Amino acid sequence: MGRLKQLKLVVALGGAIALSASVGVAWATTGATTGYPQPKHPVPATVQAPFEDRYVLTAVGSGAGIRSGEMKFEFEEGSSPQFLVGISQFYSYGPTGEIETGLFTFYPPKELPNGKGLGFTALKVGASAQYGQLTEDGELRLFTPEGAKMKGELRLHGGGPWPVEFKVLDDDERYTASPPAARQIHEAEPSKPGWGGEPSEYEGEYELTNGAEDPTAKAGSLGAVIGVAQGLGVKGAVVSEGSMKVEGDPAVATVELETGDTNRTFTLTKLVWQGDQRVAQVHNEGPDSPPVGRFEGTGGQGEVKGDLVSGHSVYKVEFKLK
Amino acid sequence: MRYLASLVAIGVVGAMAVAGCGGGGSSSGTSGSGGGDFVAGAESACTAANKQIAALGTPQQEQVTQYIEATEETIEKLHRQVAGLDASGATETAYVEGLAEAIPVLTKMGNAARNENFDAVRELSAGLVEIKLGELAEAAELKSCAEVPVSA
Repeated sequence: MGRLKQLKLVVALGGAIALSASVGVAWATTGATTGYPQPKHPVPATVQAPFEDRYVLTAVGSGAGIRSGEMKFEFEEGSSPQFLVGISQFYSYGPTGEIETGLFTFYPPKELPNGKGLGFTALKVGASAQYGQLTEDGELRLFTPEGAKMKGELRLHGGGPWPVEFKVLDDDERYTASPPAARQIHEAEPSKPGWGGEPSEYEGEYELTNGAEDPTAKAGSLGAVIGVAQGLGVKGAVVSEGSMKVEGDPAVATVELETGDTNRTFTLTKLVWQGDQRVAQVHNEGPDSPPVGRFEGTGGQGEVKGDLVSGHSVYKVEFKLK
Repeated sequence: MRYLASLVAIGVVGAMAVAGCGGGGSSSGTSGSGGGDFVAGAESACTAANKQIAALGTPQQEQVTQYIEATEETIEKLHRQVAGLDASGATETAYVEGLAEAIPVLTKMGNAARNENFDAVRELSAGLVEIKLGELAEAAELKSCAEVPVSA
């Protein structure tokens, strides 16, 4: 298959994948990327050469939410001096376990300090794999391979870095569906009770500081369904208003969120912290109801911000103590 | 593939529905008995529709599909009712067209919800926001139609 045809296949299937969470994407790591200009800061080919290979993800930091993945690095065809471009497909966990797919390319290569390896900007592939039509979404750092294994760090969507480990695939090793699940590397969980050293630091009434314009305001009869829909999805529901009250021993947070004209109340229990990390369990119907998700974020000095996950929905919230 | 095929099929059905509804609307687009009848009829239909939508309440996750289906049914009925009235001006016609535009979007949202693709449901709802049905209703002086149904 010609290089251009391969690219077209990647582009076309990328669109299809975006529509459905279907699997069967061995093509993703056999496809090619084109049109990448010479990097401003060339890296010697001898430094890049050990990374030119096909890989499967074997371990990943649990915070990344990635189940599995494949990746390939190859020298851009005809490039002189030569430079590597990578392409990967990651399968991610949705909050309730459904699998979503994400395509990324990695460019340009940069030498890490002390000869540790190579770093790449992670570019998210949307409707096109053509350079110039990609959006920066993070960074991949790869440490010099040791035999068939390679470790690294990944930042995506403003999160991380998360540790990653890859294994080189044999030439004839192909996956007809999603690769096997990578081992989840669990980071140190916060364990101190509450959301700060002293209850006076975090107890009280908070106001939402990242409220968006009410999308239902001018929607007439469609306002209600818009309000419901805007509260769905794992990419961050649109919250127009909200508040939070933290009280009690052990501390419990009551969170009121408004998406359009739809109000939702969540109860957060098992509040724990470590450094600037703030974590809690999320309930829909009071503290004694079954947990439906988790709050993960950061905080301190009267502020708490993060993702509140409830079933299929993720609410990106930022609160400030009144 | 089956998913894409169903999307195409839904698109065709949606297009047919819009075409059919548009036909009804065009017949009422001729100048006739005046806007008063349209306003009164539309206000009455909107009040009933908003009541039905408000009565649906706020759905839990597992009820979202039924919620969207019920809303779609109500908006379809509302559209049929106002399209059957004698829209006398551009603003009234624009409101009727806004309702027609919403129906295929709601169909797609329902389909996405059935597939538990809730990100798609949220993203598709941007299409409803863009219609600005409340603004169209205000422009046509349809006070009840401009109101957002609020669950009890």
